[in-house]
Amino acid sequence: MTVTGHRQRATTRTALRSSRLSSLLGLTGVVIVGALVSAAVLAPWLAPYDPTERVARPFLSPSWDHLLGTNDIGQDLLSEMIFGARVSLTVGIVAAAVALLIGTAVGVVAGYYPRRLGSVMMRGVDMILVLPFLPLLIVLAAYLGRSLLNTILVIGVLIWAEPARVIRSQVLSLRSREHVLAARSMGAPDRWTILRHIVPRTALLATGSFVRAVSNAILLEAALSFLGLGDPIQKSWGSTLFWAQERLAFLTPAWKWWVLPPGLLIMMASLGFALVAFSLEERIDPRL
Amino acid sequence: MRRRFDIRRLTQYGVVVVVAVTLNFLLPRLMPGSPLTLIAGVDVGLLSADQRAEIMARVGLDAALWKQYLRYWGDIFTGDFGYSFRSSRPIVDMIWDRLPWTLLITGLSFIVSAVVGVVLGAISAWRRGTKIDLGMLSGMISIESLPSFWLGMVLISIFAVQWRLLPSSGAVTSASDLVGWAHTWDIVRHAILPAATLSILATPGVYMTMRYSMLETLREDYIRTARAKGADERRVLFGHVARNAIAPVVTVLALRLGFAFGGTVIVETVFSYPGLGRMVFDAVSGRDYPVMQAAFLVFTAAVLAANLLADLLYPLIDPRTRTS
Repeated sequence: MTVTGHRQRATTRTALRSSRLSSLLGLTGVVIVGALVSAAVLAPWLAPYDPTERVARPFLSPSWDHLLGTNDIGQDLLSEMIFGARVSLTVGIVAAAVALLIGTAVGVVAGYYPRRLGSVMMRGVDMILVLPFLPLLIVLAAYLGRSLLNTILVIGVLIWAEPARVIRSQVLSLRSREHVLAARSMGAPDRWTILRHIVPRTALLATGSFVRAVSNAILLEAALSFLGLGDPIQKSWGSTLFWAQERLAFLTPAWKWWVLPPGLLIMMASLGFALVAFSLEERIDPRL
Repeated sequence: MRRRFDIRRLTQYGVVVVVAVTLNFLLPRLMPGSPLTLIAGVDVGLLSADQRAEIMARVGLDAALWKQYLRYWGDIFTGDFGYSFRSSRPIVDMIWDRLPWTLLITGLSFIVSAVVGVVLGAISAWRRGTKIDLGMLSGMISIESLPSFWLGMVLISIFAVQWRLLPSSGAVTSASDLVGWAHTWDIVRHAILPAATLSILATPGVYMTMRYSMLETLREDYIRTARAKGADERRVLFGHVARNAIAPVVTVLALRLGFAFGGTVIVETVFSYPGLGRMVFDAVSGRDYPVMQAAFLVFTAAVLAANLLADLLYPLIDPRTRTS
């Protein structure tokens, strides 16, 4: 875990070029996220059918009535995709919010009190980063049982370590800035200094880690649902793939309309947030 | 100096092991529902109070918590992980049966992703800002967003179903009496798709690290010196830049090896590959808790071993860190 630090001397030319690149990528990300979020919000109006109703014969190929065909019990797959956006995005965003809350709390405290408390806390963070992530996620989810809330909690509780690290390093440097020192020397209590002068300044960085966390959480939710550990009633894109796998859709021509679309949507969602995060991070720290 | 560093690292590893084992011990005892279901694998509703007490005593659940905890440690040290609920086999045997398969596909994908990631990363950094760089960079970012299981399913659909080139599941053709080379070839054919899936997924991490490390090295003074003295570009690239840039990549690679192990849970499930990962999935869907727990410990051990490897390798590759 040794990391070598070097001086950075980006030339203006490459910096310019990369900033244009990052805003282009960021814009692409915003467009993707915007489209998916609108689909999720407008799902009842966009979807041609109720995804929980059996509206046709099972295993239908795509037709004008059912653009993506139907699944093993005759539900419309296109409607399932549109409503699936709600579940996948909600889990991703709420789990990331949980992670950000824990991560900010730990990061701010560990950064503001870097000596004893902070170093003990960061030891804990290192440990969490070393535990085998995916198996732990699966074991926890299996014990807790299948529900949307449990999925959110398990993911949120496991991905806060990275935001905590990022925010701590920011707080460490903020701590010795003049305005903070001034506040402290005038006798401001720690709580005041932290809430008034430290936390607001981590907001931009926190936004970056939040968006990055959403991107991860979407993939993790998909993986859990694919393993059959998702909420049995609220079907996400991952759950659709779980059923496609159970019914061996990928061994038939049905993979083109049953397996491809949900996977592409998961990828787009995760990629969209990742691109936004990438451009935010670049903006915050142009040396990356 | 060196010695103190080692002791501190070892303590850290020790703490991680204790935490993982304790977590394993506590989870089934703290979770909602009767621990009897989770530890002894019996349906509590069907039993009378006497039967319940008898089973509690047999599996040691009636003892004080600290006694159970000590016994749990004892079992681990003697390599006794208990028995599977489903197959009633000793879990240790199950792990030994499955470990080679997981090692095969993770090993293959490790080599492929390391080579491809390092080469592409080097090219990308060397041509920074060009179309090649941008193309590769955005390609890699996209791959990082691929759901692993989905990639596996799509590869099966294309290569196994559509084109009938490779088998879609398992590690060997069942009920075939292949021997010698035919047998080896059969194993290789079955390993290709799962290993390819894992390789594709592992490449972006290596690529990103290599690219970043190369960009840093390219700014060093000795590179400018090398160019100034008129060394040809190829020589600068391979002899100076790549050689110095590779050290952090090796660390990342070693760390990833540990996590790649965990990633097999999903990929082996898609390919019905009889490794450790598939064992975890079967255990989860069959509520086979002891198997699940033992596998978690094996995965933890793998990650720690990978960390240890990274720590040991680093000073060998990058002499600059030896004294610090």
